Amino acid sequence: MRVLFLTLITALLSACVVAPLDIQRGELSEARVLVAKSKAAGAERCAPEQQATAVAMLYMAAHEYSEGDVHPEEQRELVEGSMKAAKEAYRVARKGCSKKVEIITLEGVYFETNSDKLTHESVATLDGAVATLKRRSSISVEVAAHTDSRGSAVYNLDLSNRRASSVMAYLTEHGVDAGRLSSKGYGESSPVTDNGSAEGRAKNRRVELRIQ
Amino acid sequence: MLRWLMLTILILVASPVSATSIFTGIEERTKTIYSDLKGDNSYHAHLARKLAVYAGVEKGQSDISAARQLMDLAEEHARKAGGQ
Repeated sequence: MRVLFLTLITALLSACVVAPLDIQRGELSEARVLVAKSKAAGAERCAPEQQATAVAMLYMAAHEYSEGDVHPEEQRELVEGSMKAAKEAYRVARKGCSKKVEIITLEGVYFETNSDKLTHESVATLDGAVATLKRRSSISVEVAAHTDSRGSAVYNLDLSNRRASSVMAYLTEHGVDAGRLSSKGYGESSPVTDNGSAEGRAKNRRVELRIQ
Repeated sequence: MLRWLMLTILILVASPVSATSIFTGIEERTKTIYSDLKGDNSYHAHLARKLAVYAGVEKGQSDISAARQLMDLAEEHARKAGGQ
């Protein structure tokens, strides 16, 4: 009985030990250096997707190595993939980092037609934005509003200015420090797609948080 | 003896598992990350989504420990991005 007990405990203990995702292991040193280099060049801000790919693959490679030589091809592919992404992130970061702005598009913010009055459907998205800004308390953002191209450019610019102000007011009323916020209307000047279809126009009518 | 055995098993199985992972599956946690970070193109948001996908892959290969670790890491980055 005692032997059975000890065997069971040993088996359970070994099952519960989880190999950590140790990216400091020797096999990953080359990839790790490249990831650190791209990070130092500002890739988290300038090439966020490529840098995230490099880091995620590094973690997966660490996991694969922790299993021994079970999947050697996967190990190699992940390390090479991480290095490739890190090199690309570095290249992008070195090229034009200072011009890149992080933009969070607030999908689901709606206004009444030709008005700056927010509709009830917008509440969930705006509350999400409030929560995001409270969590990321170190960032300042510009609330940017855009319209489609129907109507005159002057009218659209004014409407977008009022809509941006309206969203900013919601954020401050719900506890975001006004000192961290500014608002700006861009009118119809920065479409994300063609204004020729209803679908395109709906995409162009949008509100964004542009992180400063 | 049996009582001690049962107690030991219970402690060993329960202790490394967080409340979140007991009650919420990898797929559900992935959905939450994607939903919370919708429209967020920051580094931490991208990393959170990618790690969540890898967690799903590991779960698909029945490596639950790795899936949980990757998902915990994904959620950590989602929090840094402002989600969750």
